[in-house]
Amino acid sequence: MNKLRRITSYRWWNNKNLWFLFIFLLLIISIRFSKSLIYRDIYYFLSKPFWPGQFQREILLKSHDKELNIKLKQLEKDNLRLRSLLSLKRTTDDFKIDSSVISRNTGSWWRKIILNKGAKNGVKIGDAVVGPGGLIGLIDDVSMLTSSVKLLTSTESQVGAWVQRINIHGLLQGVGSDSPKLIFYARDIDIKVGDLILSSPASTLLPPNIPIGIIESIDQDLRSTTIANVQLLAKPQAIDWVQILKTKI
Amino acid sequence: MHFLYLKNNYSLFSFLLIPLLCLWNPIWLSVMGVQPYWPIFWLLPWAILNGPTNGLIIGFIIGVILDSINNDIYTQVPGLLVCGFWFGKLDKLENRYQYGLVASLGSFICGFIYFFQVMLNNYHKNPDWLFSFALKNIFGQILLTGLFAPVLSIALYGLFRNKFKRNPF
Repeated sequence: MNKLRRITSYRWWNNKNLWFLFIFLLLIISIRFSKSLIYRDIYYFLSKPFWPGQFQREILLKSHDKELNIKLKQLEKDNLRLRSLLSLKRTTDDFKIDSSVISRNTGSWWRKIILNKGAKNGVKIGDAVVGPGGLIGLIDDVSMLTSSVKLLTSTESQVGAWVQRINIHGLLQGVGSDSPKLIFYARDIDIKVGDLILSSPASTLLPPNIPIGIIESIDQDLRSTTIANVQLLAKPQAIDWVQILKTKI
Repeated sequence: MHFLYLKNNYSLFSFLLIPLLCLWNPIWLSVMGVQPYWPIFWLLPWAILNGPTNGLIIGFIIGVILDSINNDIYTQVPGLLVCGFWFGKLDKLENRYQYGLVASLGSFICGFIYFFQVMLNNYHKNPDWLFSFALKNIFGQILLTGLFAPVLSIALYGLFRNKFKRNPF
């Protein structure tokens, strides 16, 4: 009986184990060269159900807030100390008086509002008044129980203002309309529509860095001044509650 | 008794309302933020009934009170003096439209004199800025004062007429 002999020869590609090893090595190399990006993405989905809860995140955020508050208080302290050395105006949260508007005259000749806090509550002439958004005016008259605020839009109002982006000072002049003028006594100033206007950090009349308004248009005239129309952030015609900032030197 | 006292002093009580109205400034009665010129409504019938001299005096008094309320560097006294004297020179007005017209003119006089003071004080700045704001204020006041005078001034005239007799001086 002839035994059938199978004639075969060894071919390495027929070895399944080798193929398996080859693919495995390829995978490892791809993971290595891709810096395990795919692996991490896969891990992202796999580990998702086991992530730390929102509670821990809140604790982290709170601790971050506390850290920032400590830094802020430290900076405020430094700032107050330096301002007192320079004899500039300063204000802190301890010197704020909440007050409501009891009379309003914002669109006529007399641009004033009357507040329900007066000399009895420690309000003094020259104190700054801020509403939601920013500065609205200065106290110009005080009775025992009330105080009158001269609005920034009044023709008699003139305060120093500061353009934050380019660190330049100007004079904010009320002209009776809802948009006061910001006057720079120089030409070719790099102011742009949308620039934020703050109270001057070097002012001896106002507390520093209170937002006032935004430049809405710029007039270039032939004289040696640049004039910008300012849109106020706080609208006195719509404000019912304000804060009186007691300033200290 | 109290009612009789009130009835005999309508002019005094309504006079006391003028500064209160100026302080109140109801926003729903305004056009572009401008209110009617409240003192005119009272001054017109009162001066018609009491003559130019009394009109001049009461115009001065109202002006002083309003100046004290607004605590401004400008004064409303000259405008109200002119109006008080002019209204006192008028005889009884014939119809409602005349009340509206006279009150509008009075408001224009007061507004213009006030604007003149603002211009004088701001001539060294750029007075061009003030024109649009002044036009809005003056014409807003003229419109609203002329609109309400036929109602308010005639009602006050009816109240005052029973108490005062015409003083030709």
